[in-house]
Amino acid sequence: MARAVSEAQSGARRIRAPGFALALPAWVWFIFFFLIPVGFIGYYSLGYKPSIFSSIATDRLSFDRYGDAFQPLFFKVFVGTLRISMVGTLLCLLIGFPFAYWLATRVSSRWKGILLGLCIVPFWTNFLIRTIGWRIILAPEGPFSNALNDIGLGLPIQLYTRAAVQLGVVYNYLPLMIFPLFVALERLDPALREASKDLGAGRFRTFRQVTLPLASPGIIAGLLLVFIPLTGDYITPLVLGGAKGNMVGKQIASEFLTANDWAQGSALAILLIVMILATVGVMALIGLGIRSILRARRRFAMPEVMTA
Amino acid sequence: MSLAVPAVTRHRRDPINSLMRIWGVLVYVFLFLPIAVIVAFSFNTGRVMESWTGFGFDGFTLAFNDENIIDSVKTSLIAAVGSAILATVLGTFAGIAIVRRKGRWVPFFFALVFLILVTPEIVDAIALLIWYVRIGGPFGPDNPIPVNFGLIRLWVGHSLFSAAVVTLIVRARLEGLDESLEEAAADLYAAPVRRFTQITLPLMLPAVLAAGLLSFSFSLDNTIISNFVNTAEASPWAVYVLSAVRSILRPELASMSTILLLLTLFALGLVVLVLRRSGQSGEEVAATLTGGG
Repeated sequence: MARAVSEAQSGARRIRAPGFALALPAWVWFIFFFLIPVGFIGYYSLGYKPSIFSSIATDRLSFDRYGDAFQPLFFKVFVGTLRISMVGTLLCLLIGFPFAYWLATRVSSRWKGILLGLCIVPFWTNFLIRTIGWRIILAPEGPFSNALNDIGLGLPIQLYTRAAVQLGVVYNYLPLMIFPLFVALERLDPALREASKDLGAGRFRTFRQVTLPLASPGIIAGLLLVFIPLTGDYITPLVLGGAKGNMVGKQIASEFLTANDWAQGSALAILLIVMILATVGVMALIGLGIRSILRARRRFAMPEVMTA
Repeated sequence: MSLAVPAVTRHRRDPINSLMRIWGVLVYVFLFLPIAVIVAFSFNTGRVMESWTGFGFDGFTLAFNDENIIDSVKTSLIAAVGSAILATVLGTFAGIAIVRRKGRWVPFFFALVFLILVTPEIVDAIALLIWYVRIGGPFGPDNPIPVNFGLIRLWVGHSLFSAAVVTLIVRARLEGLDESLEEAAADLYAAPVRRFTQITLPLMLPAVLAAGLLSFSFSLDNTIISNFVNTAEASPWAVYVLSAVRSILRPELASMSTILLLLTLFALGLVVLVLRRSGQSGEEVAATLTGGG
């Protein structure tokens, strides 16, 4: 007993000392294998490719690789990527919202868990394999194409085009939109919608003034969760894109793995990050602007309702 | 929950509700179509995956007799076990520290975790390639440790994102736990180590196990980082498939994918079971499984 007490006391003294020591391994790990390496991308982007056989030299630093990135060849890839990622993110929202709304508000609680679990299965299936599945579906000589040709229709989307990549990214990132939307809509108390209805608001108005504002944190989370990884995607354009459906991620990979030009690849990666941050920033400003306009309009509309 | 039941019956005849239900079914068809296609085409007896010639189990026998396929799957499994252990240990301690040792360091740590979660994987991949080549040591051909350096590269590379996710999951679980249980144990003179092993650990074990299995599956799935840091001796399954995409896809690949899909589903089922037993609701389970904590 006495030993146990002294053990506890010495233990209590020992435990007070470390502070954040328990997180120290993770700190070291994240800094040494994430922060510093990512920092080196910035450093390497200022370098150059000295000869065919070596990938990088940094004895002479310049912003030339960034200048090269604005050549028509690379610039076109950036514009194409932004188009694919913005259209893709929007399509994910348009497909995912009614679905998440249905799952959160119209499905009985007994089925909800099972149906949500079914959404997780594709998310847990290998990303590359799922994309290859689309390649089989879109293959020009594949069974789907042949079946559609037999009834006089062709495949609406051709493999190795931008449309194929667009389809692929919407498919691959849709679950990441559904989850946060579902969580937000699920938390929404049905009584609020009932109250809105009782107060005479129509269906559309209830949706616009009750459901949508309350679901907005989920919408924002979903947009970010889809947009950021989608913009950096490399597998989908590689499997479905061919030459026409190139994206920045694939271009970075080919600079590193094929052209063996690490400086150019690093510069493209930095520009990719800048493009993502800039787009998110601009969209956030637009969103805030729209919100303040809507709020101002509602404030003007209020007295009318009161007098009516 | 009792409110939901009359709501469902009342809305049944509504055209908008029927439309939403049709939409729901269509989304499920969309989500499962390519997976169903892969499973179906794993029974293709042809030589090329895309062109169907007949039904048979040739793909499965070929897959199990192909040394390259088996080696790559083995590498994937070893990489997944190693990185899952690394990520779980690192993330669990970090998660405990966040909840029980609050301080000014926490926001900075969260910022770092958030940064890791949102960085596009291609950026992580080139950063790791640059770093591994630069520092060498255990990550280069002169590795002093008697383990293939390609495996070490994969373990470390796959552990980063997973450790961030594990941190969030463990933290979420601990936030929900009552600290008075630990205080009671302390009042009863349980030493800190004993307090941890007998009170804290059992309570957070479901979350730790789920997070570990999630890390395992993340690693098994990982293609981009693997493709950048892998070496000829330690080339995982996803990289093997990726190189086949560039040349020719054979039905064996679909067959092996189907087997791995079953393995993943088994792991997923196990996690759901563990979490459900620990008293989480279906939605909480789903949040944990998608890394949302």
